[in-house]
Amino acid sequence: MTFLARSDPRYPGRALDLPRPPDPLWFEGDAALLSRDCVAIVGTRRMTPYGERVARELAIACAEAGIVVVSGLAQGIDSAAHAGALDARGETVAVLGEGLAAFDPHGRRRRLAARIRERGCLVSEFPPLMPAQGWMFAQRDATIAALARCVVVVEAPHGSGALITARHAVALGRALYAVPGPLGSPQSAGTNALIASGRARAVTGPESLGLVAVAAETSPLLDRLAAGPLSPDALRADPADVAELLLAGRIVALPDGRLTRT
Amino acid sequence: MGLRYRPGVLSLAHATNGRLQAVTGFARVTACALWGLETELVSVEVDVASGLPGFDIVGLPDTAVREARERVRAAVRNSGFEFPLRRITVNLAPAERRKEGTGFDLAIALGILRASGQLATDIAELCVGELALDGSVRGVRGVLPRARRALCAGIRSALVAAENATEAAAAGGDVISVATLRVAMAHLDGSARIAPAGPPPPAAEPSWEVDLAHVVGQATPKRALEVAAAGGHNLLMVGPPGTGKTLLAHALPSILPPPDPEEAIIASAVHSVAGLVDPARPLLGARPFRAPHHTASRLSLVGGGTPPRPGEVSLAHTGALFLDELTQFSPLVLDTLREPMQDGRVTISRAGASATYPARFTLVAAMNPCPCGRRGDPAAACACLPDEVDRYNARLSGPFLDRIDLRVHVPRIPYEELRDASPRERSADVRARVVAARQRMAARGRRANAELTIAEIRRHCSLDASAERLVAAAVTDSRLSARGYHRLLRVARTVADLDGSDRVGRDHLASALLLRA
Repeated sequence: MTFLARSDPRYPGRALDLPRPPDPLWFEGDAALLSRDCVAIVGTRRMTPYGERVARELAIACAEAGIVVVSGLAQGIDSAAHAGALDARGETVAVLGEGLAAFDPHGRRRRLAARIRERGCLVSEFPPLMPAQGWMFAQRDATIAALARCVVVVEAPHGSGALITARHAVALGRALYAVPGPLGSPQSAGTNALIASGRARAVTGPESLGLVAVAAETSPLLDRLAAGPLSPDALRADPADVAELLLAGRIVALPDGRLTRT
Repeated sequence: MGLRYRPGVLSLAHATNGRLQAVTGFARVTACALWGLETELVSVEVDVASGLPGFDIVGLPDTAVREARERVRAAVRNSGFEFPLRRITVNLAPAERRKEGTGFDLAIALGILRASGQLATDIAELCVGELALDGSVRGVRGVLPRARRALCAGIRSALVAAENATEAAAAGGDVISVATLRVAMAHLDGSARIAPAGPPPPAAEPSWEVDLAHVVGQATPKRALEVAAAGGHNLLMVGPPGTGKTLLAHALPSILPPPDPEEAIIASAVHSVAGLVDPARPLLGARPFRAPHHTASRLSLVGGGTPPRPGEVSLAHTGALFLDELTQFSPLVLDTLREPMQDGRVTISRAGASATYPARFTLVAAMNPCPCGRRGDPAAACACLPDEVDRYNARLSGPFLDRIDLRVHVPRIPYEELRDASPRERSADVRARVVAARQRMAARGRRANAELTIAEIRRHCSLDASAERLVAAAVTDSRLSARGYHRLLRVARTVADLDGSDRVGRDHLASALLLRA
């Protein structure tokens, strides 16, 4: 673990757009990523299967284009974005709302943090041992917006922290994108409102971000899984076709036995 | 006829009549000791010798056996016999294993009466029963396996309490049902012979509360249940509350194949040891279905206590064990299930003794998909955070889940489907397929495909070319582990058996895969 002072040539120039740029910026991993072309992908912790899939697909498209994915390493959308980028052999930056040494997640996010340390960069503007407090996350959200060229909000209910990032993105002059969601889905209420008010541009696919969509082969069966996981019965498909996709790794079974696209 | 105690005469007899002092002797009676389901004939040797009055039991008796002294003394006296004021030594041979329980009372009392000359004939029968202080004979646990053991050793006749009579008769020998010590004596000395009890009543005709036809929709879960019943595969059902997981599980007994006679005896013997036999119907007519509550302790699930009693896993032997709300069970309790799921038996070891019970059961478990239960439910939004769901799923350990071959999602059924009144397949039809599949398995020398070893999988689960192609790529790309591959083949074998096919085809493999094999 080390830090970048403002005077350091490696200090990311975009962070200077903030009214009070973080000084120093603590990091673990590859600090050069901070100055690369970055896209922030953020969203709620309580994501839906739809949000998870979109966050992942956008992150993969970024990774394929050599763009660094910036997010906050929270549960839900943030984790899906980081994991998508890493799975596509891309790079990713996680901006934490607490000190790097105080950050001690469990389970899936612990493994994710380890991967980011290897292939990306963990960043925090707070002293290493400083434990998390509510206000720190709001400040961190501003840093995420500052580090990125553009910000994509995948899913955010009203009052979500991701909307704070969105506000900062507008204030800092970053391009703001939001992923439209089903009407009535609380997880998409905030993103739909961003689009409706004209503050954010709607994302209709990786093309919206100027990226090339990863050419995914489609089939009627895969299309039926686009909205989210289904039980084998609800899929109404020939078992042999499903089995083929399962064994090819195109779909996987969730712990509850439902099938989902990878 | 030996000496009879007449009230008021005893002291006189001791004081004035020298006859009693001369009564010394030796007798041998056969009883049977029980450790779990393991039995061993015990020779109860009684020596009545002159000397200071005393009553000792040797041969590693436990507390319950040692307390027989008090019960036997009172029972003998209150039955109108003389309890000899002699030095009485009872040895339970073989003397090096600890004897447990109260089943030796009758044998000890009869031995004393024989050794003291009050019974003139030798006792060839197996004697099993506890004595009440008034001389009546009480039933004990585990009479069925004890009577079976005696029969194997050539002892055709057994003296047991009236309430154990049908159970002992189920083992096949002649059973003399004795209500009191007096009745037993009268039978043995020939003054009032008792006719052997008739053959045990036939097992009750099984009737099922839940039929598969009661369950609407749920094709895949029903299919999984059928495969589990046929192949003995363990099954986990995951779904939101109220979607019919419990109902499906309770339909399982209705499609399980009937037990063969040997299995029925063993399962009944376990129930006998647990003291759960219905005297009117000692033999189980159907495979057991046990559904312990999720607050169950380790002891109640795998067995234990003093003496070690069989737990739910053993009571479910040859049948099914249903664990509803699987994640509510303590992880420690679930981990103790690993041994019986692997070995088909449980060994309970304690200082000085260990008991082994059979525990070959099909596990059927049900759980919610997440802490709030609404994950994947189109009718309600799940309020759980991803980490909470991960923690919830992590309550089931990997080694435990490795032993579960089938895992299916039980989704909420749309209203239109619920109203659908078209005829559905009945349990009896499914059961016929299951029975036929079991016969195919038996022809290969295994009771159920879940028990196939890797060598047997290689021998019996040959894939046809199209099926081979389907899995080959997945195995080479290591998307399918070796363990997963073998599990898939086992389940596919069962699917093929249900289909009446010798070869495992592409469709069988595909169906097996959809059951999350």
